Amino acid sequence: MKTSIKLLLPGALMVALALGFNTAFARNENRAASAVSPLHPTFALLDSNGANVLESGQAASTMTTCGECHDTEFIVSHAYHADLGLSDYQANRETWNASNGLFGKFDPITYRYLSPAGDERIDLTTPEWLMTYGWRVPGGGPAVNARDGQPLTRLRPDAQNPEASAYNAESGSFEAWDWNRSGVIEMNCFLCHMQTPNNELRVAAIERGAFGWANTATLVGTGIVERSSLGAGGFAWNTDAFDENGELKIEYVQLQDPTNANCAACHGEIHEDPIAPLQLHACDLTQTQTATTGQVISSQRISESGINLSGKANLDHAWDIHAERALKCTDCHYSLNNPAHALDEKAANPDHLTYDPRKLEIGEYLQKPNHNFARGVSAQFGVAPELKSTMRRCEACHDTNKSHAGWLPYNDRHMQVLACESCHIPQMYAPALRAVDWTVIRVDGSARVECRGIQGQDTTTDLVTGYQPVLMQRTDAQTGQTLLAPYNIITTYFWVYEDRQGNLRPVRKADLEAIYLTGKTYAPDIFAAFDANNDGTLSDSELILNDSSKQSLIVNKLAALGLTNVRIHGQAQPYSINHNVVDRGSATRDCAACHNADSRVTEPLLLSAAAPVGVQLTFPPDATVSPTGSVETVGASLYYNPLNQNDKTYLFGHNRIGWIDWFGALLFLGTVIGIGGHGTLRYLSDRKTPTPTARTQAVYMYEVYERFWHWLQTVAILILLLTGLVIHRPDMFGGFSFRYIVFIHNALAALLGLNAVISIFWHVLSGEIQQYIPHPYGFIDQMIAQAKYYIQGIFRHEPHPFHKSRERKFNPLQMITYIGLLGVLLPFQGLTGILMWLVQKIPSIQDWFGGLTILAPLHTLSAWMFAAFVVAHVYLTTTAGHKPLDAIQAMITGWEETETQESREPNAESEKR
Amino acid sequence: MKQPRSFWMVGLGAILLAILAPLIAFWPKTAEAKEDPWAGVPIHPTHVDHADIVSGEFASGQDVTRACLQCHEESGEQMIHTTHFTWESRPYNVPWRDEPITIGKANQINNFCIGAQGNESKCMSCHTGYGWSDKRFDFADPANVDCLACHADTSTYAKGEFGNPAPGVDLLAAARSVRAPTRDNCGKCHFDGGGGNGVKHGDLDESLYFPSENLDVHMGGLNFLCTDCHTTRDHTIKGRMVADNYSIDPAEQVACTDCHSGQPHPDERLNLHTDAVACQTCHIPNIAVKDPTKVAWDWSTAGADRGDDHYTYLKIKGSFVYERNYQPTYLWFNGNLSYRYLLGDKIDPDQPTFINQPAGGINDARSKIFPFKLHVAKQPYDTVNRYLLQPRTAGEGGFWSTFDWLSALTLGAQDTGMKFSGQYGFAETWMYWPTTHMVQPKEYSLQCDACHADNGRLDWEELGYPGDPMEWGGR
Repeated sequence: MKTSIKLLLPGALMVALALGFNTAFARNENRAASAVSPLHPTFALLDSNGANVLESGQAASTMTTCGECHDTEFIVSHAYHADLGLSDYQANRETWNASNGLFGKFDPITYRYLSPAGDERIDLTTPEWLMTYGWRVPGGGPAVNARDGQPLTRLRPDAQNPEASAYNAESGSFEAWDWNRSGVIEMNCFLCHMQTPNNELRVAAIERGAFGWANTATLVGTGIVERSSLGAGGFAWNTDAFDENGELKIEYVQLQDPTNANCAACHGEIHEDPIAPLQLHACDLTQTQTATTGQVISSQRISESGINLSGKANLDHAWDIHAERALKCTDCHYSLNNPAHALDEKAANPDHLTYDPRKLEIGEYLQKPNHNFARGVSAQFGVAPELKSTMRRCEACHDTNKSHAGWLPYNDRHMQVLACESCHIPQMYAPALRAVDWTVIRVDGSARVECRGIQGQDTTTDLVTGYQPVLMQRTDAQTGQTLLAPYNIITTYFWVYEDRQGNLRPVRKADLEAIYLTGKTYAPDIFAAFDANNDGTLSDSELILNDSSKQSLIVNKLAALGLTNVRIHGQAQPYSINHNVVDRGSATRDCAACHNADSRVTEPLLLSAAAPVGVQLTFPPDATVSPTGSVETVGASLYYNPLNQNDKTYLFGHNRIGWIDWFGALLFLGTVIGIGGHGTLRYLSDRKTPTPTARTQAVYMYEVYERFWHWLQTVAILILLLTGLVIHRPDMFGGFSFRYIVFIHNALAALLGLNAVISIFWHVLSGEIQQYIPHPYGFIDQMIAQAKYYIQGIFRHEPHPFHKSRERKFNPLQMITYIGLLGVLLPFQGLTGILMWLVQKIPSIQDWFGGLTILAPLHTLSAWMFAAFVVAHVYLTTTAGHKPLDAIQAMITGWEETETQESREPNAESEKR
Repeated sequence: MKQPRSFWMVGLGAILLAILAPLIAFWPKTAEAKEDPWAGVPIHPTHVDHADIVSGEFASGQDVTRACLQCHEESGEQMIHTTHFTWESRPYNVPWRDEPITIGKANQINNFCIGAQGNESKCMSCHTGYGWSDKRFDFADPANVDCLACHADTSTYAKGEFGNPAPGVDLLAAARSVRAPTRDNCGKCHFDGGGGNGVKHGDLDESLYFPSENLDVHMGGLNFLCTDCHTTRDHTIKGRMVADNYSIDPAEQVACTDCHSGQPHPDERLNLHTDAVACQTCHIPNIAVKDPTKVAWDWSTAGADRGDDHYTYLKIKGSFVYERNYQPTYLWFNGNLSYRYLLGDKIDPDQPTFINQPAGGINDARSKIFPFKLHVAKQPYDTVNRYLLQPRTAGEGGFWSTFDWLSALTLGAQDTGMKFSGQYGFAETWMYWPTTHMVQPKEYSLQCDACHADNGRLDWEELGYPGDPMEWGGR
């Protein structure tokens, strides 16, 4: 629109007209200006003494300014963003971690270490820590209070106290720090509640130690305050922005609920511009969440982003479906007492009460908004562990049964083992950190860094491939439910030492620089040990402690500095991935992705392409994620191999119990070989002495229903065996659709069961059941006689020991076999099958006697027996009649040619009946 | 007991039935029902080659038409009743007039070249007839229909003054080239309407002769002709331009749902939009994607010698603004107009005058949010009588030769039968053009945040919502 007006302007005649056109085109422009919350009243900006800043010229204090109406004491004491671990700070001899949060927990990626009081070698003092990490500190907590909870301003400046001193590089010594001069960083309301906070100047103020002005610097650019060499602290308040009462004019009150852009200031890449292509730097730690996981919060289609991403053209979905669907960060990470988002706390109610209307009123909430925000179970953020899983999970908004209806079999079972993210975050499209190796140091003082998902460094010129997150067991802190969820794992290596008091500490960066570098280059002995190609520089591929001589060189050099018991610590930290969700169109939907030998579930993750040798990797103890897999070395590379057997899951198509298949296959093959041999011998003996002809008569052996029952059962069992094989080994039968094969298998199993039930009725009602009931007396002898016949008699053309008749169709061996088959094996197969199927309806079956882990192998075992039986059964039918095919023909037509009783000697045993 | 020998086949059949019947009955359905948009696309029969059929000497366009009508006996009679020939709608009863009125280029004005009356020499080069030079033109004579405009190969044929064949056209060659209309035939007038490429429509311009898939998924990706959607029966072409009508029978209009289902998305949330949002709104994110279109035209500056530039100023026409690839204006639209400026309607020169106003509103269940190109003009009006005037421009003694507004407006008043006080000024006029072509591939359609984010492209309150319906609820 604006360009159109520009085009009109040339020519003096046009001016009046342009005004006219302006009205036509200005309709959409009025709105942007009115986006500021019209609700927030105007107010005076006060300094920490409660005086109007216009009069005092001092920095604005959020605690007093906002505290006029909001309970800022409540807010700051209910905000883990402010606390950052201060409240549980406890220095420790055994570990370097003094808390769970940014303040006190050593992060081996950023490396600089907040030294506890009493340490021999001080890395960061509190003022230095703020200057280093303060860009991620929204104020309050450790930016206001000392480690004992007292205000920092009460600390006496003291060069010996790591809370009230800072290292001066020029003098090379620690100097006292006066907190009253520097001021402290109060919780910065402006940073998150303003449309356009000035983060750049805020960070600049923090980095130069002007803590008290950091929050005021955030306001520069709004017209309220400007940079000025005349004002105190380098800032001057603009009187034009205030009314005659000293209150801000309403148009300067640009307060609002936090937007995604506010969160992005500290958390990671958030791109809200629908037109400008998204760009990012690979593994850029100023975008922490993106650097550690590759998560990008943007509604932009990946295909339209400005990243040289492999296969981008087909990625026409948004980076994050929730961003695309206009959800904001605060829609899920809401204030825990925000009545608009209040969880239905049924659990807290008496049983009879489903809803308690006595909620917090909006006015009360605005006065005391809890700034502890709902959070998930991230492995990497340890602060406020008691609030883990306070967030709504996917299932709280989405009904998985409905959203997966009609295609996903075993929905409940899938939900019982898989977090939604496992399928709905199939791939990360931005690079992420893989390994950070602080055992060595680059000449610029940085660590050797490996970045995954990119072939190089630059996301616009090098090929970005993204990466597939690894699936690990995540335990929900509230429900205790353990599910597979996607993670990145970042491996870090760093030197640790013990000081004389026995404190275990990471080696300071300053000490590393001291042993590796001389001035702006490497020390000669370092060159001698590392410069493999003697080119006078050390590349990343040379900067690896890949042999023990290099390691001992470093150990010795560190020891020379006075560090004792120096060793390398290797840590593998999982980073949860919960954003960048894709909808069903892009989620993992192919059954074979997991139900296959190369299963997605056990896909290994490269931890480091070049690790220092001889270092045992440890996963930090964490209640939310269990590394049940194994770490394996392949050449110089380290991999994490998930082992789903350790998670008590049995994945069809992936997991098998080897001996069952071997046993089954041998049983089957043995049967085939056995009947092959028997058949050959029969054939040979028949050639030698042809079977004497005998008089036969046609007997109506099988009723119509019997035959129908039998053949239906035959077809069903054959198809069940074949489909079962495909389900068992999808890697061998990739051409089949897993989903349809499973359906056919289940449908035929149901048919087989129905067929069996009806046949039981028929057998009972018709009395044919008698055929299957052995008469105990002499039954063993009869079986032996029959066995002898198969072993000897049949080759001599002896008559069958038992005459087959309408009344007595089975010989004793047949009878016992069929009892076993129909009475034991078939019900067993059916029962294990039904239970496996029922797992999707009644997931608790999984908890009985081992669940699928036991049921599935048993089902497989008895399937092998069925297969062996079918072969043997078909063969044995050829022995039953006068001619080989008589029995089969009888099962088809019902009529069998049986030898007449008179044609041979009546059988002694049959007489006994 | 004895069954016939082939009885086993009955049993086999029964067993197969017992197995197949439940499998078929319970076969897992694919969640998304497939639609078949191709069912709505007509099949084009191969057109008879007329090269060997047409013969003779043609002295005039009418001679060609008479030759056509020898075989195509009904075509002439069919054509003379179509709006392509009459340039006039059926009569409508409108609330602000006592008599039924017709609307069309024949008798009304727009805010581009304003009006055709008196300017027939130029305007009628897009009329599907020959020799419309003034009111005496015989609309009943089928021989006056120009068959070649739509059926000749455009490389052999062009139209000149008063719609007659341009000088130098080989009418025999043109007549021998006839076939079913192609994009070129339609495009000659509809892509260049208003006096040049992309002037009038933001969604129809010469980029559609050879469009890429990303410009127009139907014409580029699927190689559609205009007539694939604008299906034609007895020379009556489906699809109406709302600016030249007052209300349109939906049966006469082309709709996306002619081929696509009304709930075509696999995503239920998207389907919930189709009640209130037209397909075009999301699937045509921008107007004039490749070639720019005119969005403003100021006649009041015409006549000055300050150097002509096609996109900003022409002495004969005044100053313009062109825009390319820009966001449409969104209005409720039920397919009809709530107002169409008719010659003689009084205006308030201090307010924009609507040449047309799309009908619809949040409370009209038939209307949907629809994308429009808004064209804003300044055009002459009678300051005493307070109505818009149509100047004679291209016609004899018109503004384009004299650059004198007074005489051009006097002549124009004669042409249109209006009274002219002799006092004139220039008033702002708005005209809305529905955007319905240049449908982009689904990968480029709007996403939720295009409208539902802060500062999204829809002004909810202007549309009548209390706020974003995502939060405040729909209508």
